[in-house]
Amino acid sequence: MLRLWLNTATLLCAASLLLIVTFLLYASSPIFAAQGLNFVVEQEWYPYEALFGLLPVLVGSLLSVGVAIALALPLGVAAALFNLEIIPKAAQSWLRLLMELMAGIPSVVYGLLGLWLLVPLLESQLNLLTGRTLFTAALLLAIMALPTIMVLSEDALRRVSREQRENAVTLGLNWWQQVCRILLPQAWPGIRLATLLALGRALGETVAVMLVVGSIDRIPEPFYNLLLPAQTFTSRIGREMGEAEIDSLHWAALMSSGLALMLISLIVVAPSLFWRSK
Amino acid sequence: MSSVFTPAKLIVTLLALPALIIPAFALGYIVYQGSSVISWQFLTSSDALDGFGNSSGILGQLTGSLLLALGGCLIATPIALGAGLFYQLQANPRQRKLLESVLYLLQAIPPIVYGLFGLVLFVHLLAWGVSLLTGMLILAIVVLPALTLNTITSLQRIAPEYSEAARALGLSDSALVGRVWLRHARLELITGQLLAMARALSETAPILFTATVFSGVVWPESLLSPVTTLQTHIFYLAQEGGNPLAIQVAWGSALVLVASVALFSLLARKLKSIGEQ
Repeated sequence: MLRLWLNTATLLCAASLLLIVTFLLYASSPIFAAQGLNFVVEQEWYPYEALFGLLPVLVGSLLSVGVAIALALPLGVAAALFNLEIIPKAAQSWLRLLMELMAGIPSVVYGLLGLWLLVPLLESQLNLLTGRTLFTAALLLAIMALPTIMVLSEDALRRVSREQRENAVTLGLNWWQQVCRILLPQAWPGIRLATLLALGRALGETVAVMLVVGSIDRIPEPFYNLLLPAQTFTSRIGREMGEAEIDSLHWAALMSSGLALMLISLIVVAPSLFWRSK
Repeated sequence: MSSVFTPAKLIVTLLALPALIIPAFALGYIVYQGSSVISWQFLTSSDALDGFGNSSGILGQLTGSLLLALGGCLIATPIALGAGLFYQLQANPRQRKLLESVLYLLQAIPPIVYGLFGLVLFVHLLAWGVSLLTGMLILAIVVLPALTLNTITSLQRIAPEYSEAARALGLSDSALVGRVWLRHARLELITGQLLAMARALSETAPILFTATVFSGVVWPESLLSPVTTLQTHIFYLAQEGGNPLAIQVAWGSALVLVASVALFSLLARKLKSIGEQ
């Protein structure tokens, strides 16, 4: 009886992974039958003219996530150092509690904040036609990634051994040298893990991005012009999945966008999770 | 650590400030906007659905969110517990490695992909439609990896002496599990459940087109009927740009959602600290 339960449960875990991959492949097969791998590099996406290309969302997702992490990493690590090294012990746990609560705020609430606070702010400050841009999405993703990066980096910094710190002090290293030569290099594996986890989460973030990114399937022109509406994997799927006809080519194209998103996330996140287990 | 405030510390502090101020400001803003709407009537009524979701109360949405999250956790629990016990009780090193890999891979998949999977399999192939049952199953898969990993670590924390003593007394596997392991790990297992509830409550993307509708439903009539949830309510109302009332209701719903999620994670935190004493 016990054995049966345990075996079934374990098989169900494994089966769910296989089922997800199988059904996504099954649902996206029509688009590969119609376009082959050309789908990946096709630049146009006009469902009504049966033009389906992955490139706009690939560029949109990678740009927004890249900018978000580039913004959040230095700030998050600085905040972790600040909490660990600079403020008094009594305040530390309060700040950490705040950060943990922030990390738990649902993404749709960040979306609401983004749409009704960040978008009007950017519109008026940068004099934009619309505040729903790739940059807005990146900024919102950075804010969402901050608590995760800070909490996990702080854990990593905390694990640096006391002995090493004491040796550094004995050697006469000042605070900045201790940080740069002992703390950060020693904590780097943990910080790297935090960054990759935040990156994976940002890549899969859906509703918040959907509300602020503008949802236009276009590659920014030139590519560094982030102040234009764009589209990401998740915003495309979220916007169009509800209106796509079942088993149409549009449906299959959206499914394959999901499949591609899954593959990229697995490549980015899975290795970091394996490191953590060691 | 020197107590002198050097330029280096000043730079770190300046860099850290946005990371501290922005989240605090965001949280404060939600509370500020939301609290002006929240009243007893807002929380406990579900009337005046005029077809645009401008109901004056969010009881239906709150119930829907809780039902989906609770259902998801209830479905996931026996599987997570079973797989965790399998890992600890009878798995050989190769099976352990394999199970860990599966869980990490599941954890790395974005929630919206689970939504797509549920849309294909549950909504269309099994013809359950956009329904409570579909949403519960999808949320169960979303929380499954974290819940299983939590089971494994909770079981690993039990001192081996207990298991050895139980074995020496001749206890069977099921007695060992029921009388020793589950009893010793119960606080940590409950902590895992609370965190899973918090997680399931905060997910929007996977249930957006698989379990929920915007309006027209107050109470789901059966497992196969759609629900309304706080998450999707906020999502739809946020886009009603021309209607200030809708935005107000969205802020109120957001505050209620944030508070419910925080309640579960604070409870989990409390239990964890009790367990560590």
